[in-house]
Amino acid sequence: MERLFGIETEYGITLENEAHIDAVKQSIELIKSYRQEDFRPVWDYRGEDPFRDERGFRANALSNHPDEKEEEKRDRKRNIKERLSFAEIKSDHILTNGARLYNDHAHPEYSTPECSSLFDLVAHDKAGERILQRCAETRSQKLGKRVLLYKNNTDFHGHSYGCHDNYLMAREVPFETLKQGIMPFFITRQIFAGSGKIGIETEAGLATPGHYQLSQRSDFFHVEASVDTMHNRPIVNTRDEPHADASKYRRLHGIAGDANMSEYATALKVGTTALVITLIEQRRIPESLALVNPIDTIKTVSHDQTYRWIVMTAEGKTMSAIDHQREYLALAQKHLSEAVGLEIDWVLTEWEDTLNALEADPMSLTDRLDWVAKKWLLETFAEEEGVAWDDPWLQSLDLEYHNIDLDEGLYYGIPMRRVVTDEQVDAALHNPPADTRAYFRGRAVDRFSNAIKAIQWDSITFTVNGRTREINLNALADAAIARQYNEALDQSPNVETLIEKLHQ
Amino acid sequence: MTANMIAQLERKQRDTKPIGPGDGDGDNEGPKRQKVSRPDTQELLKRMRRVDKDQSRRYRQRTGE
Repeated sequence: MERLFGIETEYGITLENEAHIDAVKQSIELIKSYRQEDFRPVWDYRGEDPFRDERGFRANALSNHPDEKEEEKRDRKRNIKERLSFAEIKSDHILTNGARLYNDHAHPEYSTPECSSLFDLVAHDKAGERILQRCAETRSQKLGKRVLLYKNNTDFHGHSYGCHDNYLMAREVPFETLKQGIMPFFITRQIFAGSGKIGIETEAGLATPGHYQLSQRSDFFHVEASVDTMHNRPIVNTRDEPHADASKYRRLHGIAGDANMSEYATALKVGTTALVITLIEQRRIPESLALVNPIDTIKTVSHDQTYRWIVMTAEGKTMSAIDHQREYLALAQKHLSEAVGLEIDWVLTEWEDTLNALEADPMSLTDRLDWVAKKWLLETFAEEEGVAWDDPWLQSLDLEYHNIDLDEGLYYGIPMRRVVTDEQVDAALHNPPADTRAYFRGRAVDRFSNAIKAIQWDSITFTVNGRTREINLNALADAAIARQYNEALDQSPNVETLIEKLHQ
Repeated sequence: MTANMIAQLERKQRDTKPIGPGDGDGDNEGPKRQKVSRPDTQELLKRMRRVDKDQSRRYRQRTGE
């Protein structure tokens, strides 16, 4: 789709029948079970600064959940007792498919390689599930106890963890223009991108059991825009880490989305967002699409059980979230149809069909959207077993919908529509996307692992004949330059030749 | 990825065709009603009944991003 994008997903982790686990330790051990050989830390953290704000300043501090004070005390004790270094705690692995697999705070995280094809991205997102499940099986054998992994966003007790969709975009778009265009879109996107949740939460815990809502995450947003991600979360995150040439690019770090099990929902979520970003870059989004009270509205849309999803624009006009999305769709159809390729065509067609189906009969989307599939599943079970909607058993079924074990997870018991084949997912387990800088990273890891001293998203540092040689990958945001670098790597029998070729 | 790990990654998911544009019913008049294949509820109910009722009560996570 002529844009780089990727998805980073934090997974929930627990052990069967255990109420209290050291999530950090279990997450580290899970990641370590990926490899048999000794762990060699090469991830270069110098390029990361979560305090840097898109609005041109650096935050003094980041908000954190009140529970974390006690947790962090326990972290310090464990780290001292077990002599865990920062690198060991993070346990960063860079895979041959270009992905990053690591422990993010207290969750196993899989960051897909950068893709420019929507269906490549879906295949890599699913490959992440398969890789983590295999890690869980290996770790379970060692422990003698089952490790369970959930691709969801809440523990139903007020603790949320993220699935972030990321998009490289033009830096010359002022942040306020980006916010004005994307925030209303994020608020109504959940009508097709939400993963569904039973119960309404606050950070203090479960507030309203039994209330089925569209989104896992919408209860957790409290400000319109900020650099925070762990607490007081914003609808539009302002973290300024482009992982590319900062003079040319921003990275939209989208934290206001759910982890999707459905391939179709993942493709529609990322595909529509990518098109809206293009509209924003072209200054096509009118101010009339802004919504009043964004913080309340993201929740009321998610909670609305009438499925009318009425929102009010800043100009005082009321409309359904479906019609609000149709406004974005109409702009995309009008201004982006010239750029039609197969994937853009797919997005425009499915976006329109999905909005029409949501209007006519949301349950007709049982085989495509997560929140609909989960609702159907819970309704079926409640009716069959005579279970009330506020019965915790249904909440357990909600959780198990997101279990990534193909034999146990409830999502995998439903014949959902696919947008990629199992063969494409299998290929993504070890092959990077062919047309982005992720190819260079993945193939370098595959072929020259011993010579790699450090890796970041936008650079690789080799040690060659005792000398340190850094290859900056910033320019590879350009597809033509990525192709040149990738070809140079394929044609080089060793790192010395590669560096020579790149300096010609 | 290590070779033995790849070998152990079994394909268990049901094989289906990728979706393409125009999978609707082709009716151009008004909102489209998509064709919906209803799942085999008996197999799914078996899977659901295996779920531990107390799993969500026990499930606790640290806050993340």
